[in-house]
Amino acid sequence: MFIRENKFFTAALVALIIFGALTFGNMPGPATQTGVVSVDGTVYNFSDYPALTQEQLGIFNYLDGLVTGQPYGSWEGWYAEDFASLLHYVLAFIMYATSLIFETTPGYRTTHYQDFSWSLLQKMNTSYGEYNITSIEYTEWINTPFPDYYYDADDPYNASNTDAVYTGGFRGPANIMWTGHYGLMEALHERNFNTGAAFEELSWFIRDWNNTLTTDGKGNQKDGGLWGIGLIPCEPYIAFVNCNSIPMFATYLYDNMYGTDYKGVWDFGLNFSNVVAQDEYGLFTDGYYVQQPLGYQQLPDGPQQPFPGNSIDRSVSGGPVRVSGYITAWALTFLEYIQPQETTNDYPLFLDVYGRDVSGDKFVVVENHRHPNAFGTFDILATLFTLPLSNQRGDLVTNQRIRNFIHGVFDKVWSSDGRAMWFDTMSLVPFLQAPLSTAWVWGTTPTYIRDFAEARPAAFWDQPYISAADDDRIWVYQAAWDEDKGAFILNIRVDQAASLTFSNFDSAPTAHVAGGSLGELTEAGPDYTLSLEPGLYQIVLR
Amino acid sequence: MSETTSKTEGGKTKRFLGRMHVRTAKDLLLTLLHSVVWAFLFVLVSLVPMPYTMVSLIKLGLGPALAIIALAGAVRGPVAGFLSGYLGTVMYDLLVSGNVLYWTLPAVACGVSGLVVGLFTYDLSKGRSLAKLSVVALVGFLFSILLTAIIDLTIARFAVMLVVGLLLLPGLGVGIPSVILITPILARLWHSAVSLVSGRAPLTHVGAGEKRLP
Repeated sequence: MFIRENKFFTAALVALIIFGALTFGNMPGPATQTGVVSVDGTVYNFSDYPALTQEQLGIFNYLDGLVTGQPYGSWEGWYAEDFASLLHYVLAFIMYATSLIFETTPGYRTTHYQDFSWSLLQKMNTSYGEYNITSIEYTEWINTPFPDYYYDADDPYNASNTDAVYTGGFRGPANIMWTGHYGLMEALHERNFNTGAAFEELSWFIRDWNNTLTTDGKGNQKDGGLWGIGLIPCEPYIAFVNCNSIPMFATYLYDNMYGTDYKGVWDFGLNFSNVVAQDEYGLFTDGYYVQQPLGYQQLPDGPQQPFPGNSIDRSVSGGPVRVSGYITAWALTFLEYIQPQETTNDYPLFLDVYGRDVSGDKFVVVENHRHPNAFGTFDILATLFTLPLSNQRGDLVTNQRIRNFIHGVFDKVWSSDGRAMWFDTMSLVPFLQAPLSTAWVWGTTPTYIRDFAEARPAAFWDQPYISAADDDRIWVYQAAWDEDKGAFILNIRVDQAASLTFSNFDSAPTAHVAGGSLGELTEAGPDYTLSLEPGLYQIVLR
Repeated sequence: MSETTSKTEGGKTKRFLGRMHVRTAKDLLLTLLHSVVWAFLFVLVSLVPMPYTMVSLIKLGLGPALAIIALAGAVRGPVAGFLSGYLGTVMYDLLVSGNVLYWTLPAVACGVSGLVVGLFTYDLSKGRSLAKLSVVALVGFLFSILLTAIIDLTIARFAVMLVVGLLLLPGLGVGIPSVILITPILARLWHSAVSLVSGRAPLTHVGAGEKRLP
């Protein structure tokens, strides 16, 4: 009635409807449905098993398009023109984040995931000889201001002494910011798919780290290894705890997978990180110089950088040690498996020192707590790195507040075929598109980085799993073998008629759903095939 | 002379208290009750995820919770308007973060929008008055968000880029359409609902001594 009587009300209502329709988007994705299936008195509650969401799988498909959909040396869609030197980090973190997807559905191991993982490794390992300036060797090493370096413990100021130990080279001992990541990517590929294809090269890196960390580089045993600190420098002259946390993690995983005992080579470096590479709060510093970089200039009046010594913040009077929010978050995440007490103790302290309450429902982490008036790319990085850390620490409040802040100012975009999703960062920094989307997965899965350090039990590889499927027609939310109940748990959405091939079943299993059965699977050689029409299914196979 | 002055001042005080809806104990209690109820509504509505779309760095969308604060001010005056924003923000912050931020100063800033709206009188049955409510709610919201930005820059010491690019711009894109469009609609619906329930026109916020609006 008042619509007739009140023109302003009517106008406002119409304008509201139009505006609401024009701006409708970015609603939270649908929660994964779980149900209960009973088979012969045994109850299978799907909420008891880890599950992926539509959005996480959509982001995987987006990343898959960037990785397996193009030649290894191609970077179309990465928007990395100004950030080429960071590409190898993005590749590595994509591997870590997508491994969380693989870990959540360990019974889904078709070529869809395995090819992606292998392609990611190949993309990370492109050589200058084969791919020229589009190679990671060029962007990460050759195109950097690090010429050949030599190290002599008695003369760390002289990096040009060719009589000392050579420490340069893309795959050399001093490029841990590539070798560490590449090694862990190889280790994760083996842990996830058990192909053996990366074993030899990974073993070479493990032996190289062992040699670097326990000898002087000339064959003589030496505490703390070549540089005497038990850590390996990223650039040939400066070591970072976060960069070293990656090969540390890879070494522990390697030991757990292959029954070796290399992890002790990191004890010296861990102790050094926890005692020396510390700021005034007891959090990790932003780098430790093992030698003076070529061409380094001390400030005539400012604080003097010691060599060797913690990197100092020359912009602050008195020259306190340099600090970094992203480095600390990264290191705490990857070191939690190795030294859980340190991460447990330091996490709340880290939030206190680096965290900022933007509002009740938004939280940001700054890169340098001494410079609160600056905000840039590294502050966004520090915030993004806190996402997986908070998830891993079970701090879902902080995790949600970070996502509200950082992801809440970008559009979620779905591809026209509805298979891929990403966060559109074109208006701010296009290069952030892949990292921001990756961070969403990394910060929201029900599995964590620390879980990866444990090898899968040998029996895992004999358990039933999905070995082939019409991958581009399905969404696999849950896929795992329940050892205790002797059944395969499958939660799946089928867009178009699709079939899935199961391996390792001893006999033809029956597909059970709530209140009924889909019948026995069809035998196909040693495997069994399940055909599904479009729909949403929670299936127990046994 | 002094008696006259005293009477005049007494009258002014009464009018002021009346305008605040706190002249009598009953008024005060009712105003506080309004504040708490509107604050709870604010929290409930704030918890509902709302759609939005980005146009460059501008976030366009709707935040109905902002209109609820304005509505509280329009219905029950500046004290209720302020308290609903203040209490609502404090309760919301406690609920979603477990913290009260910066000595509740951001909550004060939020309350300002309800206070500004409550300083004026409205006849919620008339389009012209609803339009006035839209404009005043916009002014109140702008005061509120600018105050928040000032607190962020001076007390919280956030970077300018963070405040302007990631807080102020997205906040304006959601807040402006919300207070302009949703506030009058909610106000008109509230007016009709109360009329329907009570069988008479609601006691819309008016100053002391002023004629009750129909």
